[in-house]
Amino acid sequence: MNVRVTVNGEAHERDVEPRRLLVDFLRHDLGLHGTHVGCEQGVCGMCTVLFDGEALKSCLMLAPQADGHEITTVESLAPGDDLHPLQEAFRQEHGLQCGYCTPAFLLAALAIERRRQRLEGEELRAELAGTLCRCTGYQHVVAAVERYFRERAEAAVP
Amino acid sequence: MSRTLEAPESVATGWIGASAPRLEDERLLRGLGRFVDDVELPGMLHMAVGRCPYPHARIAEVDVREAQEIPGVEAILLGDEVMRRTEPITVLRPLPDVPTVPFHAMAKDRALFEGQPVVSVVATDRYVAEDALGAIAVDYDPLPHVVDVESALQPDAPVLHPELGTNLLVANPRGKGDVDAAFARAEVVVGDRFTIGRVTGLPMEGRAVVARYTPGVRALDVWSSTQLPHLVRMQLAHSLRMPETTIRIMAYDVGGGFGLKLGLYPEEILACLHSMDLGRPVKWIEDRGEHFRSTTHGRQAVHRIELAADRDGRILGMRNTYLVDAGAYNSPFGPPMLSSLMFTGPYRVPDGSVERRVVLTNKTPVGAYRGYGQPESNLVREVLVDRVAREVGLDPVEIRRRNLLHPNDLPWKSVGGATYDSGDYPAALELALARIGYDEFRATQPSSKDDGRHVGIGVACFVEMTGYPGSAFLGKHRARYGAFESVTIRLNRAGGADLYTGVSPFGQGTETSFAQIAAHAIGIDPADVVVHAGDTVGTPYNTGSFASRTTIAGAGAIAAAAREIRGKAIRIAAHLLGVEPSRLEIADGVVRATGDPMVRLSLGEVATEAFFGHRLPEGEDPGIEATAYFDPPANTFGYGTAAAIVEVDPRTGEFRVERFVMAHDCGTRVNPKLVDGQLHGGLAQGFGAGFFEELVYDPDTGQLLNGTMVDYLMPTAADLPEFELEHLEVPSAVTAFGVRGVGEAGTIPPAAAVINAICDALWPLPVRISRLPVTAEAVWRAIEGAGGEAHAS
Repeated sequence: MNVRVTVNGEAHERDVEPRRLLVDFLRHDLGLHGTHVGCEQGVCGMCTVLFDGEALKSCLMLAPQADGHEITTVESLAPGDDLHPLQEAFRQEHGLQCGYCTPAFLLAALAIERRRQRLEGEELRAELAGTLCRCTGYQHVVAAVERYFRERAEAAVP
Repeated sequence: MSRTLEAPESVATGWIGASAPRLEDERLLRGLGRFVDDVELPGMLHMAVGRCPYPHARIAEVDVREAQEIPGVEAILLGDEVMRRTEPITVLRPLPDVPTVPFHAMAKDRALFEGQPVVSVVATDRYVAEDALGAIAVDYDPLPHVVDVESALQPDAPVLHPELGTNLLVANPRGKGDVDAAFARAEVVVGDRFTIGRVTGLPMEGRAVVARYTPGVRALDVWSSTQLPHLVRMQLAHSLRMPETTIRIMAYDVGGGFGLKLGLYPEEILACLHSMDLGRPVKWIEDRGEHFRSTTHGRQAVHRIELAADRDGRILGMRNTYLVDAGAYNSPFGPPMLSSLMFTGPYRVPDGSVERRVVLTNKTPVGAYRGYGQPESNLVREVLVDRVAREVGLDPVEIRRRNLLHPNDLPWKSVGGATYDSGDYPAALELALARIGYDEFRATQPSSKDDGRHVGIGVACFVEMTGYPGSAFLGKHRARYGAFESVTIRLNRAGGADLYTGVSPFGQGTETSFAQIAAHAIGIDPADVVVHAGDTVGTPYNTGSFASRTTIAGAGAIAAAAREIRGKAIRIAAHLLGVEPSRLEIADGVVRATGDPMVRLSLGEVATEAFFGHRLPEGEDPGIEATAYFDPPANTFGYGTAAAIVEVDPRTGEFRVERFVMAHDCGTRVNPKLVDGQLHGGLAQGFGAGFFEELVYDPDTGQLLNGTMVDYLMPTAADLPEFELEHLEVPSAVTAFGVRGVGEAGTIPPAAAVINAICDALWPLPVRISRLPVTAEAVWRAIEGAGGEAHAS
């Protein structure tokens, strides 16, 4: 089947098997390896991308279903030498260990921000519960996202 | 910030102790990690593995004719051929006094656990390879099975390996003193049977391999998601009957390990065989269903433990006989022994005996999951210590104060055979109590809240064995690895250093900690250290990252290499500057004369001179490079205390951890932020195994009932409390820079602290919780067993 998608602002057109998972399409057809695979059942969240701005588990969608839509992956966050402020917050707070879940948490946090929510504490933990991490115990992940939201809010105040 | 040291071994200053951001993060944050599934090679094929769906079955026939006809299917391998062409997987840590049970990459006539490989298919695409698996008809003849350790020892149990004649693989008794006399003179004896559930470490990245054999050149390049590149190379060479020189192992980024990725697995062998047959690269990526059934599990045990004490709460003796469930085969590390070594914990217990009984069952083999026996024996002891306290009318904290080893008792040889090096165990207890506000809590603790809930406080102390007491010790125990670590460090023309290590990065942060130690010891900035890790090409032989030992052994190797680098850089600089070497020091990347900062050369200039070799002192070789090995003379012990405040609803058994504190000592903290991360992660896994996770097998069908992430509940961000940490830093005398290990500490004490808090909340109802995981149902049942909720108010 023919699929046309916009990924990180760039238009792509490919012929794929109807059964091809969106995450396999992103990883192996487009070569965007920053989106990972953890369970292929929509539980672990490793494959989280932004789909028309909303966080979505790309193992639960077939590539043809993405036809005509816009997808954002982690590769778009820092195109140059400087990290995105959210990435920098993760670095400062030691919000990652093995790094396998990190792209998913970054996109999950950006999805929260796009909804104009600035969560913290238990509310933020509940919102991040769709992505699993086995290394960090989440504490530094939560601290990193809180730091980012705080810095954005401070930057918005003149 | 950087400072010059008199000697690299001196106490932490400079970069050691700095919470520097990690060097690994830059690539991982951008999605540029180099995980195995990111390897894409021209002409690459994809492997899928068919597995036995039964816990025990005879493989009557495998019909592959239909599968062979599917377009894109390139090759199929079956058990008889695999067995003919390969050797069993090397056991790295054999059990004492027993022959190893051979574990081949594929079952031939009989499969012994659900998930054991039976057939492998290679095709142009993973989807096609899985189609082909679906088209392969395997005729299984199910055989009687046993999945419960106690049932496996019954006379009528099916015997997994008939040549052994029993499922009791081995019994290992240990002990010291006269334990019977201790129990005879005891005024109080408390005992119980504890069952500890089987869990899995569940790294977010499963196992993965890409094998590329180049015919003619006879080079076998293997990308593997492993914690042990050099040891996997040794094991693979053995299993494939190939010279090790042919094989290169690469593990550039590993998506979590936790002990599950310790050593060779069948799929690496199978992918290599296929690649050698076809002359094309072959990729295999484990899916989560396979992971639950074929990657090693951990923890499962049944403990029978007894404590003997006098009326004052002084522990006189301890006995523990426990069954560990090994699964169907001995994995490379196999079932844990640390439950025995550490079973008396941080207490002054003069007499004790412990016996490990290793039992085979028709389940996935057990391996070295983070903590490796320590969480289990710590749990059963700490819960019983509280019961002894209740029995003799002491506060649970007071009984610990009376029994903890004091600094002047150390070094202490425990009855299990461990020698605790040094530390201040009572100080860790007091630190935890102060942080959680123990006395204040006790002073105001209500018998129950207005809404019927109860709230309690609990503590648990622990000692963590970190590292090994030397390679010779491991040799005596027939291990197929050493206790050392190694590095090569090269000073480069930019004035920085390239550091080569066989330790693969799987989240533990060794790139950063090694760079900090090297920078500290040489006198440069860690940002100028480039760590090349996880590739058997270019790195000296090493052991790998596990047993909370990487920094212990690695720091020693880095210190030794750095000493050589500094010495040579100073000699060359002295020659070029025309001064005595003793007048020179290195700091901030510069060699300079003490007290005369104008007399100086940058390390880049010195390295450039060494690179050209044009103007070196008489007899000095070009280059500034050193390879060093460090074999720790002893193991060193971390220790600490966890404390929890927990609210319990006696009507439902539901409980909520309101506060959780852990005070611990891992000696000198190379990077405090990373230490916190290690503790948080370990605690999260301790909470997981404590309150959420259990691999449940149906005793009738022998089937794993919850082998998906939907059904197996590991904690999410919403399930865990904020962890409050306190640190002591008593430097270890037996390691470079005084470091102690920290990787596993968090897994050890949390379950006992929370159980003790639950029981405290419900006291005076004598609730006994004797199992893991502790769920609301388990608490509710324990309340019922103690007389019911009505009595809990």
